[in-house]
This record gives sequence, structure tokens and C-alpha cells, in this order.
Amino acid sequence: MTLSLSEAGQNVVAGTFRRAMKRAGEALGSMSGQVIDVQTPLLQRCSADEVMTMAGGAESVVLAVYVGIFGSIKGHAVLLFSPLDAHRLAQILLAGLLGPGELPMEATGDVLAYDELELSALQEAGNVTISAFLNELGMHLHEPVQPTPPQVVIEMAGAVLDAVLLDLVSDADEMLAAKTTFSEGGRAIDGTLLVLPRADSLRVLLDALGAIGI
Amino acid sequence: MTLTGRQSLLVAGIGEMVVSSGSDTRLVAYGLGSCIALAVWDPRTRVAGLAHFMLPSGPANSTSPVKFIDSGLDAFLKAVEARGAVVNRSLLKAAGAAAMLTVGGGLAIGKRNSDAMNAALAERGLALSASALGGTAGRTVQLEVVDGRFLVKSLSSVTEL
Repeated sequence: MTLSLSEAGQNVVAGTFRRAMKRAGEALGSMSGQVIDVQTPLLQRCSADEVMTMAGGAESVVLAVYVGIFGSIKGHAVLLFSPLDAHRLAQILLAGLLGPGELPMEATGDVLAYDELELSALQEAGNVTISAFLNELGMHLHEPVQPTPPQVVIEMAGAVLDAVLLDLVSDADEMLAAKTTFSEGGRAIDGTLLVLPRADSLRVLLDALGAIGI
Repeated sequence: MTLTGRQSLLVAGIGEMVVSSGSDTRLVAYGLGSCIALAVWDPRTRVAGLAHFMLPSGPANSTSPVKFIDSGLDAFLKAVEARGAVVNRSLLKAAGAAAMLTVGGGLAIGKRNSDAMNAALAERGLALSASALGGTAGRTVQLEVVDGRFLVKSLSSVTEL
């Protein structure tokens, strides 16, 4: 499906995604008790290869929290961290929950090893962040947009994303991708949020936002 | 992935293929999840090809030559033969087709991809001599043009097929 979008229409969609991604960053910030910087989101049509590049390259190892999107809009959202940043974020989240002296983690030297508490905290961080994005989007659409339960995967970015991309590009070569980066200045934690609506949801999105025909 | 000084690397991005007869060349497909990589190597002419397929079937109007197994397999085999390989005597190996995500219905494309690949090869009287298909781990594969060595790497292991 090809849907051409005027510059004005694109601005309406970009504005909505920007607000929703800002809300997502605020949710992550309030969960972690940190000030989170949200980079101005990038919204563009791109090929599967370009999405891999947005995620840091197909072979880069990431901790990803995947959430499927259903309801009036269908698609996929993935929050990505480098393995080291994911550990740092988990430490911050758990320190807030457990208090000093109760942290269960010992440095094992293996950056890809996470204990259950860490994984659970990161899964919840992804859930909260992506749900905040979807709630804000739902408000603009005046219809609920719902998340699936989150799934945490520690893998090569290409392997995490390809199933998602296959769902998106079965009848088109390009997709709409929205990306932002969250940064927590003090401890230098960067996360990337990718939101990829299905092509058949784009018309719903544009219709609801009044972006068709402007 | 380390390369010796004189080696060159050809990368098959998602939906792409690479073919080479250069003895100093390594063919690579990074980060395969549900996608499936097919490697072809002719031991006599030492011509190699690697294709990074995405889906079992779809419209043939894609800009990616090997996006779909049904429309892309012949294009890939022709490209390898055009470089001097004879597919009937070549070694065919495949990796990928994992199930990465389980939520939201599972997006079970990996299994469909491996079934489609085996069926498409069988239709052409061909078969895989080795494979690493399915499971839940991502894979990076590399094929050495000079000797046909095919390595499959996951985060936890490296296997030669």
C-alpha cells in the first residue's frame, strides 16, 4: 500500500508522535526517578535495512523490550538498550524499589547475564514507556490503542527486528518508522524507542489526525 | 568478526544477495532472526552465493531481489550460475528461521520460511546438505568463498556446518 502524505500532513503526524514520545520519556523518567532527555523524534519512511541502521546495525547486541500494538492502530514498538546501559537502568530501577543494601546483583563480568529481577524491572520499564506512548496516541485518535504484554529479548538487533519487519513489508518495501533516543545524563543511559505502525493502520492514523487531504 | 588484512567482505543485507568468486572474499548475513540465509558453494569452480530471504511468498514487484523465497530463489540460483557455479553439484546450506517473539500471536514466520525453503528446493530437485534452522536464537552466518566453510554464530556459540 502506498500512501502519499503532504508536508502538512506529515507535520501533523510528526507532532503527535513527538508528544507521545515525550510522554514515553517522562514515564521512563518518573519510573526511574531520573531526568530523561527525549531527543526530537525522527519520523520517516524507510526500508527494512534503514530500520536496522536506526537500531544500531543488525549485528549490534541489544536488550530489547518488544510490545505489539493492537486496537485501532496495529503495529510494533521496541525499546532498545545496549547491554551495559540496560544493566545500569536495571540498577537504578531496583535501587529505587529495594533500597540500599538489598540489591541482589553481583557483577559477574558477563554483560549479557541478567538476573530475574533485572529482567523484570527492564520489562516493566519497557511496558511503562511504550504504554505511555500508546495512551497519548490513543488520546489524539479518540480511540484506544492497546499493547500486548511486553517481551524482553537479549539478541542481535537484526534478529529481534526481522520478524517485526517481515510483518510490515510483506506487501510494501517501505514502512513508516518513528525513532527517538532517551538519555539519562548523569549515568549516560541511552535507549532507543522504535514505533512501526502497519501500513493498513496508516490511513486510520492519518484520518484520525485529520492529516489526509491537507 | 575478524578479517585478515587481505580479505574483503560482502554483506547480504535483509532481502539482498551477494555472489563472488574472489578467493579472498567472505560473504556475510548479520543478525538473522526469522529470516533465512541460503548459502551456495560450488567446490569445483569455487563460486559462492549467499541470499538473505525474508518471507515465503509475495508479489514479485519488490525492489529487493530475494525478499521472497518463491520469486527470489530462481533469481538467486541464476545469479550464482551466471558467475560460474553449477547448482546441481554445489553444496547448499541454510540458517535462520528462528522464532524470536512469542507475544501477540508469535509472528511465526520462521517456521513458514524453513518449510517454504525446503519445499522450493525439493521442487527443483535440490536439498540442503546442512542447516541450522528454527530455535529461538538469532544467528549471523559467514561463507568463505575460497573453501566453502560456512559458520553459524549465535550469542552463545559458533558452529561450522
